[in-house]
Amino acid sequence: MPSEGSNDSLQEKRWLTALNEGDPRALGGIYELYGERIFRYTFRMLGNRSDAEDITAETFLRVLRRSGELRADGAFRTWLFRIARNLCIDKMRQHKLMELPADAAYPGTEEKSTLRITVQQALSELPVEYREPLVLCDLEEMAAREAAEVLKISVPALKSRLYRGRRALRDKLGGTQE
Amino acid sequence: MNETYKKLVDLYAGNELPEDLVQEMEQAAETDPELKHDMTSLRKTVETLQNDDFNFNEESYQRVLMKLYAKGGHLQTQSPDPRHLQYQLPMSG
Repeated sequence: MPSEGSNDSLQEKRWLTALNEGDPRALGGIYELYGERIFRYTFRMLGNRSDAEDITAETFLRVLRRSGELRADGAFRTWLFRIARNLCIDKMRQHKLMELPADAAYPGTEEKSTLRITVQQALSELPVEYREPLVLCDLEEMAAREAAEVLKISVPALKSRLYRGRRALRDKLGGTQE
Repeated sequence: MNETYKKLVDLYAGNELPEDLVQEMEQAAETDPELKHDMTSLRKTVETLQNDDFNFNEESYQRVLMKLYAKGGHLQTQSPDPRHLQYQLPMSG
């Protein structure tokens, strides 16, 4: 039985081929395939739903603008996350200039929401170099090699940041992890 | 705690150790409260992140679509439009 990952890979190939051929349904297909993951990633990076929506939309617009160059060679997902990452970094720079607060609220059961907000707040307080590997590897469950490619660093550097990030997050979460 | 143990705890927390080493670590932790605390709290942190069931809600899904449309990215999705977008309201005035 094919795994979910290989199904995604087949779907990705199908939609990228369709995008190259100018099929108007192709971008919608790619958005349905990756929209949630890109949104989740940008939300975790920025801690703000409105910004995450903006960056997610901009990421898929870049796909449309570069549609002639995209190839279904397995590197598309890495490229997509790298685009989202660069846009997040630009947005964080803007926030730093404007000193905008993060907004971690989103719906769910009260207990789960509280935990999410605590985790999100703790993540938001971590330096970006620790936050990125945690979001990609632990939240998005991306393999170390792919996450390293997204961040343009070596696998040992990624793991070092990941391990330090986990310890820093644990210390931020304090008593909730006992 | 020495650096070797610290690295082993990092691997333990991410479930990257082979089973025999996991058992050795857990045995060592029985007589070392500091090691036990480090192992348990770090693994719990990783599990908290991995068990996150964050979902992309309908409002955000549609808002991203609207932002795409607004910037000229016309796309067709297979998901049905939400009810409030399926029916045109009668024009008034």
